[in-house]
Amino acid sequence: MMDCERNRFQKFINFRLSHRFMPIGIAVVLLSITAMFVRAFALDGDTLWLKHILQKTMLVGLLIMSLSKDKEEDEMTISLRAQSYAIAFVIGVIYALVMPYVEFGVSNVVNSEGQAFKDLGDFQVLLFMLMIQLLFYHNLKRYR
Amino acid sequence: MENTIKVERAILSLTQDDLAKKIGVSRQTINSIEANRYVPSTVLALKLSEVFSKPVNDFFKLSQDD
Repeated sequence: MMDCERNRFQKFINFRLSHRFMPIGIAVVLLSITAMFVRAFALDGDTLWLKHILQKTMLVGLLIMSLSKDKEEDEMTISLRAQSYAIAFVIGVIYALVMPYVEFGVSNVVNSEGQAFKDLGDFQVLLFMLMIQLLFYHNLKRYR
Repeated sequence: MENTIKVERAILSLTQDDLAKKIGVSRQTINSIEANRYVPSTVLALKLSEVFSKPVNDFFKLSQDD
């Protein structure tokens, strides 16, 4: 019973997508970014719903890229990926804690009235963490 | 951890790529192990031992920092 649960948990932890998903993830991210530009500059009317959908698809694309295996996946790339997730988590938490104060400070220095203090949205934090993870993973691989 | 994998590989006239294929890792991983930038798992060490037909202790040594 315990072994069965442990095996299932281990399978869940080791879950990765095939390396063929990497181009799919890149395509989803690029399409989302293109659609964001089209929405911002070419579409009129209330398209806030579209913005939210595109933000979600962009996160899904980055997650697919993050979960895709390498062509040559071995224990070293698994270890580098784990390191990159740890770094992204720590930097993401620091970013979420510090960035609202930076935005508040900068906006009050630039404008005399400035913006009211507000926390970061989930999209901004998740986007930052996923980008940091991918960036660190590819850099760690480059300098291995 | 120090190792003499490069020497063992030369004895068998294997390139990094050949050795990598034999034990199922990438060439860069072999390069990192040889340069002491990466310490392999026990499984990988035992696979290397099988290829070199030598005990792991013969080509992996603890350094003073370990």
